[in-house]
Amino acid sequence: MTVTQTEAPAARRAGAAEGELEKSTGRRNRRTYLALLIPGVLGLVVSFVFPLAYMVRMSFNKGAPDGVIEETFTLDTYIQPLTDPYYWRVTLDTFQMGVTVGLLCVLVSYPVALFLARSTSKYRGLLIAVAIAPLLTSAVVRTYGWMVILGTNGLVNSTLDGMGLIDTPLKLTNNMTGVTIGLVEIFMPYAILAMISGFGRLSPQLEEAAGSLGASKLQIFTRVTLPLSLPGILTAFLLVFVLSISTFITPRLLGGGSVQVLATEIYDQTTGLLNWPFAAALSVILLVLFGLIIAVYQRLTKKIGG
Amino acid sequence: MRVITKGKIALAAAATAAALVLTGCGGSAGSSSGGNSSATSGELNLIAYSGVWQDQYTAAVIEPFKAKYPDIKINYSSKRSSAEMLSALQGQKNNPATDVAIMDNSVSTTGNTQGLFDKIDPAAVPNLANVPEQFKNKGGFGPVVMLDAVGLLYDTATFPKAPESWDVLWDPAYAGKINVNAPPSLLGLSLTAITSKMEGEDYTKSIDKAVARLKEMAPGVQTFAPNPDEYQNVITGQTVLGLGQNARGQFYSDQSNKKMGVTFPKEGTVYQINTVNVVKDAPNKAAAQTFVDYALSAEAQTAFAKALFYAPSVTNADLPADVKDRVVPTDGSLNIVPLDVEFLSSARDKWTDTWKRQIITK
Repeated sequence: MTVTQTEAPAARRAGAAEGELEKSTGRRNRRTYLALLIPGVLGLVVSFVFPLAYMVRMSFNKGAPDGVIEETFTLDTYIQPLTDPYYWRVTLDTFQMGVTVGLLCVLVSYPVALFLARSTSKYRGLLIAVAIAPLLTSAVVRTYGWMVILGTNGLVNSTLDGMGLIDTPLKLTNNMTGVTIGLVEIFMPYAILAMISGFGRLSPQLEEAAGSLGASKLQIFTRVTLPLSLPGILTAFLLVFVLSISTFITPRLLGGGSVQVLATEIYDQTTGLLNWPFAAALSVILLVLFGLIIAVYQRLTKKIGG
Repeated sequence: MRVITKGKIALAAAATAAALVLTGCGGSAGSSSGGNSSATSGELNLIAYSGVWQDQYTAAVIEPFKAKYPDIKINYSSKRSSAEMLSALQGQKNNPATDVAIMDNSVSTTGNTQGLFDKIDPAAVPNLANVPEQFKNKGGFGPVVMLDAVGLLYDTATFPKAPESWDVLWDPAYAGKINVNAPPSLLGLSLTAITSKMEGEDYTKSIDKAVARLKEMAPGVQTFAPNPDEYQNVITGQTVLGLGQNARGQFYSDQSNKKMGVTFPKEGTVYQINTVNVVKDAPNKAAAQTFVDYALSAEAQTAFAKALFYAPSVTNADLPADVKDRVVPTDGSLNIVPLDVEFLSSARDKWTDTWKRQIITK
């Protein structure tokens, strides 16, 4: 369309022209945005959608011993874990581990995140960098570090022994305790980051206002600071929960074969027993678990107005 | 219904790779000198174990092979376990990219039945004549290339004299200081068979008694998945007893200045046998046969026995006395608990499940 030169008032003409200009720029912009999306979407399709669809299809196949896969359509791979109390226990343990690690991680990260968010120090940037620096080290290396620290001859046990506090070493590795300790530390930087970015509405002025109106420090915290930081806390919890229930390395290395969660079970089925359809079905179950949690999370954030 | 192998996965990987190429990431297509019929030149894709095994095999066998056949290029693809090798070969079934696989007997038997391997041509592999009948494959597939057995690892400071019986694993004095690799590891499967035999049971029919006994041991086991591995756990003093392979155990015993020892208890043990196999429709079959022949040569067998204490599978390998004493005896002098490979392939899943549900405690 072009702007028509009629006897219509000049103002209208100008307005129409402006609108046209806006429209065409808008269209151009939209096209540019769409074009810019292509590489990302393509990447996602290749690296995410396609493998995921393949995995879902794989989960309906039948796994025979020794890695032969019978291409068929069966629900056995789902019926087996869903009717077997052992897999219910594994799923429950996975869920429990996620909740425990999420809660503990939020608990220890909250003060750090709060401090960093409110700090006005010129070193704030540096401090944030220090808090998230552990992310630069691989989780494998950090897990091995924890194995050294928590082992029977490790730092903790030898210190306690040296102080005469224990006779026999505490069992801190090769069980859920070790896995929990390791995961909490490993996921702390994620929790801190998530909380700092989620503390958007937290402002010192509001706390000062509460203080000037006579609220005690505890009241300020429980009635102002905490409710305002709740979205950040929830995001951090969700992030750590999801990371924990899908993590494999730490439960495998610090669990010593005694910690059976969905991720280690999937690994065993894939690499040890070569039962890919069953491993795929367990992965889908894990994915559904994620979906449920995210749905609950969205309900919760809406409720608290996050 | 169609029975497929993981060929589709390879296809998927190829599609992904193609997509990556399309998006401009590039990459070179894997090529092989398939047309080359000469046995002394070309390329050779070997799939075998990783870690210290790879290091020692490379030094003792692959390097001398390369010196002898400078025109054959060897690509070594390492896997942590035979199961992973099998999985990789299944994925390549319709378009093999591997020529030779060295893997556990129980897994290569599966490979043979799945049609992944070729029969060995005695004319192209003259050294096959030196392999005694018992180590040849009855169907003419890949023969045994080396033997080892499951041993008991012990801390030499705690045990100045090697423990004589597997019973030591149940001794309350060492509770909490034991590492046992649970199935599907061959070590755990072997311990199941050994315990079953100790309890006077026929494990091909039932392992109930063994399970009851292993349950008594489980609370004293520190880890069912030792890290970084079963040997380092004992060497670093994290545990004082463990299950391990004799060959690697002997090697690490030397490495650790004899801090750890390895022994075969009197109740018997289970062989761990590796076979050398030529992949069906291997892209470089001639080079593959040349390599298999070299792997079965007295030279290669002796060199690897010296390097990593695997017992040779050929009759003409002459080991020095100090090496001979440390490799697993193959002359019938060792009490062997037979773990039939075909039986094992059906029992692996069940025994793994039993360990997870009944034996491993939290």
